[in-house]
Amino acid sequence: MTQAGTAIAPALGTPVDTGPALRFLLLEDSDDDSELVTHQLKSGGFHFTSETVKTAEQFRQTVRTLRPDIILADYNLGEWRGMDALDILREESMDIPLILVTGALGEVTAVDCIKQGAADYVLKGGLTRLPLAIRRTLEDKRLREQRKHAEEELAAKVKELARSNRDLEQFAFVASHDLQEPLRMVAAYTQLLAERYRGKLDENADKYIGYAVEGALRMQALIRDMLAFCRVGRTASDRNHADCNAAVRAALLNLRATVEETGTVVTYHQLPFVAADPTQLIQLFQNLIGNAVKFHGKEKPLIRVSAERRDDKWQFAVADNGIGIAPEHKDVIFVIFQRLHARNEYEGNGLGLAICQKIVEQNGGKIWVESEAGHGSTFLFTLPARCERERA
Amino acid sequence: MTAEKKPEILLVDDNPADLYLFREALGAGEVESLLTTVPDGEEAIAFLYRSGKFQSATRPDLVVLDLNLPRKDGRGVLANAKSDPNLRLIPIVVFSTSCSRTDIVDCYALGANCYVSKPGSLGDFRKAVQSIEHFWLRVARPSA
Repeated sequence: MTQAGTAIAPALGTPVDTGPALRFLLLEDSDDDSELVTHQLKSGGFHFTSETVKTAEQFRQTVRTLRPDIILADYNLGEWRGMDALDILREESMDIPLILVTGALGEVTAVDCIKQGAADYVLKGGLTRLPLAIRRTLEDKRLREQRKHAEEELAAKVKELARSNRDLEQFAFVASHDLQEPLRMVAAYTQLLAERYRGKLDENADKYIGYAVEGALRMQALIRDMLAFCRVGRTASDRNHADCNAAVRAALLNLRATVEETGTVVTYHQLPFVAADPTQLIQLFQNLIGNAVKFHGKEKPLIRVSAERRDDKWQFAVADNGIGIAPEHKDVIFVIFQRLHARNEYEGNGLGLAICQKIVEQNGGKIWVESEAGHGSTFLFTLPARCERERA
Repeated sequence: MTAEKKPEILLVDDNPADLYLFREALGAGEVESLLTTVPDGEEAIAFLYRSGKFQSATRPDLVVLDLNLPRKDGRGVLANAKSDPNLRLIPIVVFSTSCSRTDIVDCYALGANCYVSKPGSLGDFRKAVQSIEHFWLRVARPSA
């Protein structure tokens, strides 16, 4: 049996809630107690409507139609218990706070009820506490919803950011890939012009063609590196059994011309296996050793590659005796397209170290540099060691 | 292939600038060969089956195939030629700008005899063309 809901004016001298009326649902089999609770709500200053139900079936129906803001439930309702209402709420997927308003309840039982999801409990002997318990419960719910909303918003933003990042990488990849073909034509035919007509036009023509060839070749290198940068994130990395000795050997083979030209000496001994993508590992060593050769000082370049075990990671060092890096530049050198030197001093497009950073981070490590201008640089990076299972 | 017959190459490429470079590089190479060019995959297949306007075509000793072609692309040509017991004996070299792992693996899976990326510089392009010619027409033993 339900009691018709009525808006009740608050007693004088109590705080008054403004805004829409709160909807209370009372679960109470004693009409007297129901009256007492309603009276307490009234004198608590609530602007509200309320309904009272007695049976589980009534509760289920009323909770659906009324959608109450809060439920005040007696513990013992004859055939069922106020706590059973929580199960019904769960079945109905409704998140409505429930306060037990009950006669004497043992401390153990009370704690148990809170554990099972009751928001609070108020003894019928101390009903004056009820308004405070309700306000606190409603405030908790509001905060909980606010936090949930903020979390959902954040998750949506993160997802959106990841998607736009993916789109951007996809765009960079496709654009670079498709630029290769027309650029190859420009490079090949300007070279053909240079070859066939050198000295046959005039001095300026030779110079112009020379600039065109140089520009096209530089752009090819840039596109190649941009593709390499994009690929690090695109291809699923095969992080297993990567032999760093083999990677350094392969890197040196790719760098053979410059290494021989500059008389560079590279030393490395018994480097470990790491859990990393072998192709990316070659690129990583190639870029770091290549940089060490490029930025050499007055002396013959000496490069030492070494590794130390640090817990579950290996820490690598690529140390050189080159021109070094000023402390204020230690972080910016890893930023994409960031360069520290004019093109006529050192060739480059500012992608090499950005690629290194992306590779190391993609494989679960960190990269940084220790250096002093004029005293060489040491690039350090970590990579996960092979796991024990693989070692067997 | 008799001693006096010049080896024949079928080049499938729709870019006139590449056709010119290829011909130029072949001309400077060591092997004297005949070069026929077709601009798309459908013509390539018609040529290999000697159908339509290619009734009098001769069987090429080597096919050099670009990947991105109008009408039927390079993958289509590979799929077609490599599933024919007779045509599959003709070596097909894929010669494409793409260095994408997927393209390379796809082509080998379809039965390409090898995959060569078109190099960016003129010198390397010539070297690539001449080593394709040298290997497939001089070093490798033909099926017929």
